[in-house]
Amino acid sequence: MTNHFIDYKNSDVVLVIGANPAECHPQAMKWIMRGKAARGTKLLVVDPRFTKTAAKADVYAPLRPGTDIPFLLGMMNYAIQHNLYHHDYVVNYTNASYLVDKGFKIEDGLFSGGGWKDGKFTYDTKTWQYQKDGDVIKKDPTLKDPNCVFQILKKHLSRYDIKTVCKITGTPEDLYRKVCETFCATGRPGRAGNIIYAMGITQHTYGAQNVRATAMLQLLLGNIGIAGGGVNAQRGESNVQGSTDMAMLYHLLPGYLGMVDATKHPTLKDYIEKETPKTGYWSNKPKFLIGLLKAWYGAKATKENDFCYDWLPKLDGKDHSHMAIFEMMAEGKIKGFFAWGQNPGVGGPSAAAELKAMENLEWMVVVDLFETETAAFWKRPGANAKEIKTEVFFLPAAFSYEKEGTVTNSGRWLQYRWKAVEPPGEAKSDLWIADRLFKAIRKEYRRGGEFPDPILNLNWSYDKPGSEEPDIDKVALEINGYTVADGKALASFAKLADDGSTACGCWIHCGYWAVDPDLKVVAAKRRDRTDKSGLGLYPKWSFAWPVNRRIVYNRCSCDPSGRPWDPSRILVAWDGRKWVANDVPDFGATNPQTGAQVPPEKSAAAPFIMQPEGVGRLFAAGLKDGPLPEHYEPVESPVRNIMSSQQNNPLTTRRKGDFAKVATAASPEYPYILTTHRLIEHYQSGAVTRNCPWLVELMPDMFVELSPQLAAKLGIKAGDAVVVSTTRGAIRCKACVLPTLRPLKVNGREVEIVAMPWHWGYQGLGSGSSANYLTASVGDPNANIPEYKALLCNVRKA
Amino acid sequence: MPKGVLVDLTKCIGCRSCQVACKQWNDLPAETEYFANTWDTPIDTTDNTWTRVKYYFIQEGKEVKWRFVKRQCMHCLRPACVAVCTSGALIKTPDGPVIFDARKCTGCTYCFSACPFGMPRYTSGNWGGVVLQKCRFCFDTQGTYDRIGRGQAPACVRACPAGALLFGERDLLLKEARARIAAAPGGYVNHIYGETELGGTSWLYLADVSFHDLGFPFVSFLSGVAAAATRWTPVAAGMWFVSKYRGEAAEDVTGREGGE
Repeated sequence: MTNHFIDYKNSDVVLVIGANPAECHPQAMKWIMRGKAARGTKLLVVDPRFTKTAAKADVYAPLRPGTDIPFLLGMMNYAIQHNLYHHDYVVNYTNASYLVDKGFKIEDGLFSGGGWKDGKFTYDTKTWQYQKDGDVIKKDPTLKDPNCVFQILKKHLSRYDIKTVCKITGTPEDLYRKVCETFCATGRPGRAGNIIYAMGITQHTYGAQNVRATAMLQLLLGNIGIAGGGVNAQRGESNVQGSTDMAMLYHLLPGYLGMVDATKHPTLKDYIEKETPKTGYWSNKPKFLIGLLKAWYGAKATKENDFCYDWLPKLDGKDHSHMAIFEMMAEGKIKGFFAWGQNPGVGGPSAAAELKAMENLEWMVVVDLFETETAAFWKRPGANAKEIKTEVFFLPAAFSYEKEGTVTNSGRWLQYRWKAVEPPGEAKSDLWIADRLFKAIRKEYRRGGEFPDPILNLNWSYDKPGSEEPDIDKVALEINGYTVADGKALASFAKLADDGSTACGCWIHCGYWAVDPDLKVVAAKRRDRTDKSGLGLYPKWSFAWPVNRRIVYNRCSCDPSGRPWDPSRILVAWDGRKWVANDVPDFGATNPQTGAQVPPEKSAAAPFIMQPEGVGRLFAAGLKDGPLPEHYEPVESPVRNIMSSQQNNPLTTRRKGDFAKVATAASPEYPYILTTHRLIEHYQSGAVTRNCPWLVELMPDMFVELSPQLAAKLGIKAGDAVVVSTTRGAIRCKACVLPTLRPLKVNGREVEIVAMPWHWGYQGLGSGSSANYLTASVGDPNANIPEYKALLCNVRKA
Repeated sequence: MPKGVLVDLTKCIGCRSCQVACKQWNDLPAETEYFANTWDTPIDTTDNTWTRVKYYFIQEGKEVKWRFVKRQCMHCLRPACVAVCTSGALIKTPDGPVIFDARKCTGCTYCFSACPFGMPRYTSGNWGGVVLQKCRFCFDTQGTYDRIGRGQAPACVRACPAGALLFGERDLLLKEARARIAAAPGGYVNHIYGETELGGTSWLYLADVSFHDLGFPFVSFLSGVAAAATRWTPVAAGMWFVSKYRGEAAEDVTGREGGE
C-alpha cells in the first residue's frame, strides 16, 4: 500500500475494484465506514458479484471477470476527455512530458518490438525507451509532442470510450458513467480518491498490468502521495506484506533486491554494475546488498572475498515459481517438498493435479496446525495409498497467538505481537522449527557434502541461554541492521555503508528495532496513540517501513513550490523557510551533512525517489508484456476480443502435462464464467477455520452461487446438489441461488457468471469439494500469479 | 440508569463476529449446521445460539439491497416474559438486562409464548424438564459470565469491527440515534425501533430500510402476555390478567414506524 488502513477515513471517494473488504478485510472496512459517517465518503464498488462491500456502496457497478483493464483505461480516458485529470501534478510529477522513442507503436493489440523466439513470444523493449540527449531525457512540458507519454497515452486510451468499454465489461453504461464521474471528480486539488484492490486485480494472466492501470489512474488524478488517496493493495493474510518484504518469492532477496543470477551476475561487481541505477534511491543498492551479505556471513564476509557473494544461491534462468514447481514435480524432477504454512492441495491452481504431482515426491515436510489436505494427499479420495512411496513428516506448528514476533500489515506497519498462550502439545514456533532444522542440516554438512561453506559459515547464533526458544531479539536485530563494530541497532538505512561496516538483513525494515528515545522501547513495540496531524498517522504506534513513513511519495501532496494541494490534509509543507512535516518526508527535506533545509524546487524535480527518472510512470518499460496496459481476454473467455486480434495476453505463462488443460474461447461445452472468492467465516484453504467448530457452524458447506435466471434455466433450486465442471475436472456441491449475481450483456450477448468460494477440502471438521480442482494453471508473465478469477465452466444438477 | 445497545444496521457488514464472540464469552458449543442458501447459519436462535445475524435480500426494481440484522433478546423495558413467568425465574434488573435464575425455572415455556421476538429457548434441565436459555446482556449475577456488571460492554459489542453496536445509557443512545438520523437526511428511516415498541426495549435499532422488511414485529406488549395466558386455564388466565393489567390496556400503544 502507498497509504495505510486508517487513512481510508480521509478519502472523499473510495473505489473498491477486485476486493471485498467487508468480507475479507473487515477491519479495513471499518475505516471506510468511518469515512462515510464523518465526511460522507462515496464508496464505489466494482465487482462481478454484489458483495457485502457492494451492499454498503453508493454505486455498485458489475463487471465481467477479467475486464478490469478496459474498465480502468476507460476511466482514464474519461478523465482526459473531460479534462478532469490533475494537470499540474501530471506535468510535474509523472513522465507525461517525457518523449518516447519514435519507433514506438501499438498495432492490433501488440507493442512494437514483439516477436517469436524459441517458440515463445517476447518483446525487445528498445522502442519503449525515452529519447535522450546524452544522459538527459527529452521532454515536452506542453504535452503536445506526439511522441510524449501524454499523447501516446491519450491516443491509446481513446479506443476505450464508454460504449466500447461497456461492451467488453458488461457494465451497464449509466452505472459506468456514474463511477467515472464520481471518481474522476477527485482529479482536482483538495479531493482525495482511494483505490483499494486485492486478488480480483492480481489473479489474472495480466495481473501486473491490472495493477499498473490502477496506479496510472491515480497518477492522472493526482491521488498518489496524498492523505486519503493511494493505490492500496489489501494483502490476503496478516503478514503477507512481511513475507514478501522478507523475500518469500524466489526472484527476490530481502528488501526487494533482485535475486542474483548465475549468468548475468557471476560476481558482485557484475550485480552492482548491472543492477544499480545511477539516479534515484536505488542508487544505494550496493549498500543494501553488502549489508545483507554481512548479516548472513558475518566476519567471513570481507571486501577481499566480495563479502562472500559467491556463497549466495543463484538463479539458473528458469522459472521456479509455484506453478513451475508443481509442473516439475509432476515430471518427477523434484524429490522433496516443504509445505510450510501452505496448503496447495486446496489453494493451488489445478489443485487436483498438484495433489497428484505430490505422489512423485520421495519426501514431504508439512509444517502446520492441522493435518491439511496437502499433508494427507496420499490418502485423499481416489488415491491408492499402497502405491504412493512418499515419506511424509508432519511438524505441528504454533498458532499466531502462541508465538511472538512482528506482523507486517498491508500498510507496511511492523507491529510486534506478544505470545498470549503456550502452544499445545508438541507444537513449536516457526522460529524454533527453522532454528533446529538449520542446526541439523549444518550438523550433516560437518560430516561432508557438496559446497559446505555457505552452510558451515552462515551467521547463525540465536541461542538464548536457559531457553528452548531461540532468542528472537537477536533475529530481530539482524533483520533491522546494526553497526558491525559495536552491534548497535541502526536507526535508519541512511546509515548503511557499502564497506562492510554495517550489517542489515532487510534494508527496508531498518529502524523497526531501534529504541525510541522517548518511549524506551523498540519502534515495533511502540503503542503511543498521539496523532497531532488528526489524519490518523500515529507516528509512534509501531513502525512503518520505510523509515516510519506512513504515506509514501508524500512530496506529491504539495505543489512544486511546497504548498499543500489540500490545506486540510497536510502531510508536508514548505512554510517559506523550512519544511513542516506531519509525516516523515519522502524526499530530501534537509541536507544530511549540514542539516540545512532543502528548498522545495529540488524535491519537486524527483518526488518519486525510487525511480531513476524521479517521477511516476504513466508509461513504464519495466513490464514484460507492454509499457501500457491493453485489453486481452482471459485465456478462458466466452467471447472474442473486440479490441484486437490478440485474443489473450501473448506472454501468458502456460504449463505442460496435466497443467496444460484450458478450454477454448467461447467453448460451447463450458458456457459460463467461473470466478472464485473468499468468505469471512473461513480463511484461505480453511486449514485452521474448517477445524474451528464455531466457524464451521457459520459456514458449513461448499456451494456455488448461481444467478436466479441461470438457476431457473437449468432447473436448479437453492440447496440442490450440482456438478460444476471445467476442462480440468468436476466437483459436487450445493447450489446457492441469490440475486448477488446477474447475467451481464457482453457485446450484445447475455453472459452468466457463477462464483465459488475456495475454502474447502476433504480434511478437517468441515469438509467439502475444492474449487481449485477446477482452476487453470495459466499465469501472468511478470509475477507468475495464476488465473483464479476468470475461467469457463458448466453447471448441471447432480 | 438503564443500559442499552444501539444497533445501527446501516453500519453492520454482516461479519458475524458478534455471534462468535457471544459463543466464546458464554462457553456455548457450536451447532451442527448444513448449507443455508442465505449464508446465515444457524438459521435460528437456539439454546446454544443466543444471538444471530439474519441476512435479508430486498429487491427494489433492478436494485438489490442486502441487509444484515443482528437479533437477540431485546431486554424489554416491560418484558412480557417476566410478566408471564410463573416461577419468578425471570427478572427485569434495574440496569436493563432481563435475566433468569435457571434453578428456579420450571420449564413452563410461557415466556416463549409471550415473547413477541420469539427469543427464549430451552435446554435440558436437571430433572428431565427444560430450562430457559437466552441472551442475558452479559449480565451474570454469579459473576462467571458477567461483563456489564463489571463496567464492560457486552461481548458482541466489544467484537464488532464496524461500529454497528454502541453500548451505553439508554437515554443517551436515543439522543445519539436521533442525532444520527438528523445528520444524515435520507440515510435512515426516521424511526428508532425499540424506543416505544412493546413499551420500549433496551436494544434499539436504526435502519435505512423499513423495519417491516427486516422482520421486526409490530405488536403490542399485551398481545404477547395474552398469547401466553391462553395456555392457562381460561379462568385463571382471565383472573390473573384482570388483576395485573386492569387499566393498562387502554394505554398500550402499538409501535408504528414513521417518516418513511
